[in-house]
Amino acid sequence: MEILAKLAFVLYALVIITGAIMAVTAKSLVRALVGLIAVMIGVAGMYLLMAAPFVAFMQILIYVGGVSVLIFFAIMLTKASPDGDESSPNSLRRGLNALLALVAPAVILSCVIIKHPVASISSPADVGAFNLGEGMLGSYLLPFELISIVLFVAMAGAVLVAWRKWGNK
Amino acid sequence: MSALTLYQLVALFLLSIGFFGLVWRRTLVGMVISIELMINGAGLAIVAAAQLTPANAVMGQLGTLFVMGLAAAEATLILAIVLIVVKRFNTSQAGEISEMKG
Repeated sequence: MEILAKLAFVLYALVIITGAIMAVTAKSLVRALVGLIAVMIGVAGMYLLMAAPFVAFMQILIYVGGVSVLIFFAIMLTKASPDGDESSPNSLRRGLNALLALVAPAVILSCVIIKHPVASISSPADVGAFNLGEGMLGSYLLPFELISIVLFVAMAGAVLVAWRKWGNK
Repeated sequence: MSALTLYQLVALFLLSIGFFGLVWRRTLVGMVISIELMINGAGLAIVAAAQLTPANAVMGQLGTLFVMGLAAAEATLILAIVLIVVKRFNTSQAGEISEMKG
């Protein structure tokens, strides 16, 4: 990595770390969502650094443009209280459990990652949208069709699930 | 430390802080936000493994795109389910949602 790439990596890593901490500790859910959006943008920047621009822009389009709006609607429709849904103090036992859930995978997996490093190539493969489209309609046609069915079923199912309750009222 | 290891450590950070949030949060929407953190970490790890090793790069990037599609579908369904639960129990606190007493 050149010096500029290293600087960009550190910048994106800082954005991701701050955003993630904000996303899990903020009292107000809207602030947590802002932290999540920062994480998504930081991850998109890392995709750009790894020479995967198509995935980076899809990340911004789908996550920042779509999923975050969905979560924002969920926050609004669940009657969030103005002083924050998570403002009451958490119990000590829950805090210990959460800390264990943070530390256990972090320690185990980082030991594995650092002890058995995989040699990485210096210049990433150049894969454009053309190659991706060829792969989608060539060797990976079945997953491509399946994901469209999954998306359709999820959309129809969401409408159906939300419709019945509101129809009765 | 190689570039791949650095990217994997960032992805691991997202995974573990997502776990932390999943246990720590008490509202359903807060848990959804933690799950999205973990999914982002998974995508980052997949693309890093595809781009920085001699593995098939097209497969890795397509895998991440499919993960994004699944995340969008999952978010839609979770939104519908959370709406129903809030209508029925009048709260989105996970601890208070229970039918059986005792």
